[in-house]
Amino acid sequence: MRAKTVRTGLLTALAIVLALAWAFPVYWMVNSSLLPNVALQSTTPTFLPFGGSFDNFRAVISDPGFLSAIGISLAVTLTTVAAALFIAFLGALAISRFRFRGRRSFILALLLIQMLPAEGLFIAQYKMMSSLGLLNNVIGLAILYTAAVVPFTVWMLRGFVAGVPVELEEAAMVDGLSRTQAFLRITFPLLAPGLVASGVYAFLQAWNEFTVALVVMTEQQARTLPLWLRGFVQASATRETDWGQVMAASTLVAVPVIIFFLVVQGRMSSGLVGGAVKG
Amino acid sequence: MSAPQPVIVTDEPATGSGSGGPRAESPAPAALPARAKRRGRRVPLLLIVPTLALLVVALGYPVCWQLATSFKHFGMLQQFGQPPEWVGLDNYKAIVTDPDLWAVVARSIAFCLVSALTTVAIGGGLALLMQAVGRVTRIILQLALLLAWAMPVVASMTVWVWLVDWRRGLLNWLLVRLGVDAEGHNWLAEPLSFFVVAAVIVVWMSVPFVALSIYAGLTQVSTEVLEAAQIDGAGGWQRLRYIIVPLIAPVLSIVLLLQLIWDLRVFTQIKILQDAGGVANETDLLGTFVYRLGTGAGDFGTASAVSVFMLALTVALSWYYVRSIMKEES
Amino acid sequence: MKKTLGLAVATTTALLLTACGGGGTTASPGASPSKADNSKRTITLWLAGSDTPQELRTYLQDTFKTKTGATLKIEEQAWPDLVTKLTTALPDPKNTPDVVELGNTQSPTFTNVGAFSDISDMYDELGGSKLLPSFVDAGSVDGKKYALPYYFGSRYMFARADLWKEAGVATPKTLDEFNTAVKTITAKNPRNIKNFSGFFIGGQDWRNGISWIFANGGDLAKKENGQWVSTLSDPNTVKGLQQLQDLYRNASKAPADAKDVTPWLYVNDSDEILDDKQQVTGKTSLAAATIMAPGWAHWSIGDLKTKDGKKVREWNPAKFTAFVLPGNDGKPAPVFAGGSNIAISKASQNQDLARELMKIIFSGDYQQKLGGAGLGPANSDYVSSLGSDEFAKALIASASNSKLTPAAPGWAAVESAQVMEEFFGKIRDAADLTALAKAYDAKITPMLNMK
Repeated sequence: MRAKTVRTGLLTALAIVLALAWAFPVYWMVNSSLLPNVALQSTTPTFLPFGGSFDNFRAVISDPGFLSAIGISLAVTLTTVAAALFIAFLGALAISRFRFRGRRSFILALLLIQMLPAEGLFIAQYKMMSSLGLLNNVIGLAILYTAAVVPFTVWMLRGFVAGVPVELEEAAMVDGLSRTQAFLRITFPLLAPGLVASGVYAFLQAWNEFTVALVVMTEQQARTLPLWLRGFVQASATRETDWGQVMAASTLVAVPVIIFFLVVQGRMSSGLVGGAVKG
Repeated sequence: MSAPQPVIVTDEPATGSGSGGPRAESPAPAALPARAKRRGRRVPLLLIVPTLALLVVALGYPVCWQLATSFKHFGMLQQFGQPPEWVGLDNYKAIVTDPDLWAVVARSIAFCLVSALTTVAIGGGLALLMQAVGRVTRIILQLALLLAWAMPVVASMTVWVWLVDWRRGLLNWLLVRLGVDAEGHNWLAEPLSFFVVAAVIVVWMSVPFVALSIYAGLTQVSTEVLEAAQIDGAGGWQRLRYIIVPLIAPVLSIVLLLQLIWDLRVFTQIKILQDAGGVANETDLLGTFVYRLGTGAGDFGTASAVSVFMLALTVALSWYYVRSIMKEES
Repeated sequence: MKKTLGLAVATTTALLLTACGGGGTTASPGASPSKADNSKRTITLWLAGSDTPQELRTYLQDTFKTKTGATLKIEEQAWPDLVTKLTTALPDPKNTPDVVELGNTQSPTFTNVGAFSDISDMYDELGGSKLLPSFVDAGSVDGKKYALPYYFGSRYMFARADLWKEAGVATPKTLDEFNTAVKTITAKNPRNIKNFSGFFIGGQDWRNGISWIFANGGDLAKKENGQWVSTLSDPNTVKGLQQLQDLYRNASKAPADAKDVTPWLYVNDSDEILDDKQQVTGKTSLAAATIMAPGWAHWSIGDLKTKDGKKVREWNPAKFTAFVLPGNDGKPAPVFAGGSNIAISKASQNQDLARELMKIIFSGDYQQKLGGAGLGPANSDYVSSLGSDEFAKALIASASNSKLTPAAPGWAAVESAQVMEEFFGKIRDAADLTALAKAYDAKITPMLNMK
C-alpha cells in the first residue's frame, strides 16, 4: 500500500500547487489592495503588503453607494439563483423523465440559445425594459439574468434527475411516504451536487454581470456591485485611477461569493452513490 | 436495492425507439419496463412552460429587434428618432466583403479551439484530481478555483496586465532573475505572444467553471462500478474512457460547447489587452472586430448583422458537434 | 423582497397610467414658472466621473432650489460607460436625464444626431464669445449651439530640470529648439541610464503626438463641401509627422506600441521599496527627462514623501519644471485639450428648469468655483480663479491655443477602431511617411461622415 500513499501524496502536492497557481492573481489583488498607489507603480514588485494599511478598504467601505449596491446585488442574485434552479428543475424533469413531442426541439433550442450573441443587444433590452416599466427594477434585472442561466441549468440538472432511480422514489412511497415527501427525502438530496454546481454558476453570472445591469439600472440607488465597482476605475478625468482602491473594492465584491460557496460546498461532494443506492 | 448496476445518466429508453408519445424512461437499462403514460401527456409540457415563457419574455423582443435591425440602416441618427430605412442585405454585404473579416474569423477559430480544448482538458484533469485527493485538499483546490472565478473581471484583468507589463511586470522581473534577458520585453507587441498571454488569461478564467461542473458530474459515478472494473482488470485509462466519460458525457458536452461558444467571441480580455498595448488591427478577434464595426461606431444595423453572422458561424462550426449531442437524445 | 415587489407593482401601475394618459405633459418652455409650481418637480443632472467636487454639487443643488424651488438630482456616471448610457437613455423621454455632461470629443456625435436642445438663444447670456471656442465648436452644428464647454484641462511638458541642466540644455523657445534639446539629452544621457529617453512618448500615443501636427499648421481632418476628409497626407501634417518620427527614433526609447497612460512614472526618481528591515531594495525607475501629460499629472510627479503616514509625491521645484510646448512662432503650440461639455437633452420634459440650471452653471460664481477646484472654467473671464502657480500658468497658456479632434460625426468610430493608434504606431519605422499617411487617409475618410 505504500505506492498508494506515495501516489496520494503526489496528487495532493499537485493539487496544492495548482490551487496556488489559480489563486495567485487573487493574492495579488488582495496584496495590492493593502498597498498605496506609489508602491503599485514601482518597477520592483512588492510581494508582501509590509507597511501596507487598510486605508483603501476604509475609503471603499465608507463610500455611500457600497451598502445599497450590496443590497441590490444580493436581491438580484438570490432571486436569479432561486428562480433559475426552480424553473430549470422542472425543465430538467420534463426532458429526463418524459418522452414527448417537441422534446428534441426543446433540447435543441436550449443549445442554440446559448449561441445568441449579445452584440448590440443592449439597445433592444433597454427599450423593452423601459416600455415594461422595469428599468431600475430588481425583478426586471433578475428576469434577464434568469433567462441567461436557465438553459445551462436545465442541461446540468437533467443528468442528475435522470440519475435518480425512479424506483427509489417508488420504494419510498411504498414505505408510506407521500410523493412530495419521497421527493424531498430521496430525490432532492441526490440532486444536490447538480443544484450546487448550477447554483454557483447562476450566482456568479448574476453577481458579476456588468453590461445588462449598466443599461437597465440607470439610477444611482439601483446600482449593482459591478456598477459600483466601475465607479472606481477611471473615476476621474483629472486624477489618476487609485488602483489600490479598485483592488480593495474588488476584494469586497468577491467576499460574498466565497461565503455563498462555503455555505453550499458540503453538498457538492455528497455524491449519489455515497449513500442512497447502497441501501 | 443492492443492485450493483451503475446508476447511469442516460436518456436511453428501455424499449426501442418506437412510436412517440410520453414514456417514462428507466434510468437503469433493462431493469424495469417502461411505465408508459405514467403521468399523462400534459405533464412534460407543463413542466417546460416556465422555461419557455421565461426565454420568450426575456429574449423574444431583443432577438426579433436584432434580426429586424440587421436589415435596416440603423445608426445613431435612427437611435435618436429618424425613421430607419430598410436596406435588405446591405449590412451583410458590407461585412462579408470587409477584407479583414476572414483573417479575423480564421484567427478567432484557432484561438477558440486552442483555448476551449485546453480549458476543458485542464478543467477535467482538475475535476479528476479533486476526486482523487482528500477532503481538505479538495476544498482548498475548490476554493482557489472559486476565488479565481469570483474575482471581478476589472480586477483580474488589471492584475494580469500588471503581471505582463513591459516595465513593471512581475513576469519580466522573474525572468531577469532567472537569467533571461527579458528586461523591458514587451509581451503584447507581437501578435503571437499577445495571443499566448490572452489564451493563458482566458483559460485561467474559464477553468474554474469547467472543473467545478465536471466535478459535480463525477459525483454521479458510482465508486462500486469503478472498483468492480478495477477488479476486472480495467486500467486507469480504460476506466476513464469506458466508464467515466460516458457517464459524465452530458455535462462534458455542454461545458465544451459553452467554452467553444464563449471563446469564439471573447471580447473583454482582448479589448483590455489591446488598450494596454499591442496593435488593434493585428490582434482583433471576432468580439473586438464586431465591436468596433458596430457598437463602437454607433452603427447598430451592422452590429446586428454581425450578430446574426456570428450566430450562423457558431452554428456552422458546432453543427457536427450539436448533431452528435442530439443523436444521443433519440 | 417586499420592497422590490412594491417597486414592481408601483412601476407596473405607473406604466399603465402613462400608457393610458397618452402623450407626455410637456411643460411649456420659456415662461419661467413660479417657485410654488416647482416644489414637486425634480430634474436630473448627469455628471461624468468624480471630477466635480462635492462642494460644487451641493452649491448647484442649493442654488437651484433657491432659484426655482425645484429639486436637482445629481447622478454620477462612470467615464468608460458614458457613451453607452447616453445612447440608451437620451432618446427616452420617460427616463432621460435633463442636463448631461459629456467628454468634449464625444460631443460632436451626440450633437450631430440631434440629442440636445438648441440653446443658441442663450449663448450670449451664458458667456458667448468668452467661452472656450474649440469646445463650443465641438458642440455646434451649422452655427447653432447645442453643447457648451463645462471645464477644460490641457497638456503641457513636465521635465527634469536637473537632467536638462546636466545635459547643458536650456528651456526651448520654439518647437525646433525643443526637438533638438530632447535629442541632445538622449544622446548625452548624463546619468548613463539604460534605455534613457530625452523625451518619452509612446508610439501609439497620438493624443500627445498630434501636437506636432497642429504646431506645423496641419490638421487631422477638414470639412470640404459638407463632407469630412482626412488630411493626414496634407504637406503641413506630414511636416509634423516627420518631426515626430525624428523624436521617436532619436529622443524616445518608448516601445512603438506603447500608449502608456501613466508617463509620469518615467520622470520620477526611484520608488523606494522597503523590505521588512526598512532597507531600500528598489532600484531607480528614472527613465526620461521629459514627458507630455495632462496638467493634472503634477499630482503624481515629485519626490516621495511621507505625509500623515501616507506615501505621496511632492513636487520639488529644484528638480522638476513644467513648461508649455512652444510653437514655431515661439507662442504656445496648439495642443489637444481635455475636458467636457454640457448640454440639455432634447427629450427632457423639463426644458425650462434645465435652462435655469445652465444659467447657474455659467454664472460667474460657479465658474470661479470650478477654477478654485483646479478645473479650467469655460468662461475665459474667470481663468484667474485657477491661481497663479506654474501649473495654472502653463494650463492657461496651453489652453489658449488648444485644439480638439475633428468635430466630424464619425470621429467616435475612428477612435473606437483605434485607427489613430495604429497609424502613429507605424510612424517610427515608416520609410515613406507620405505614402503611409495616404493609406490611412483612405481608411479614415469613409469613417468620418455620418452613415
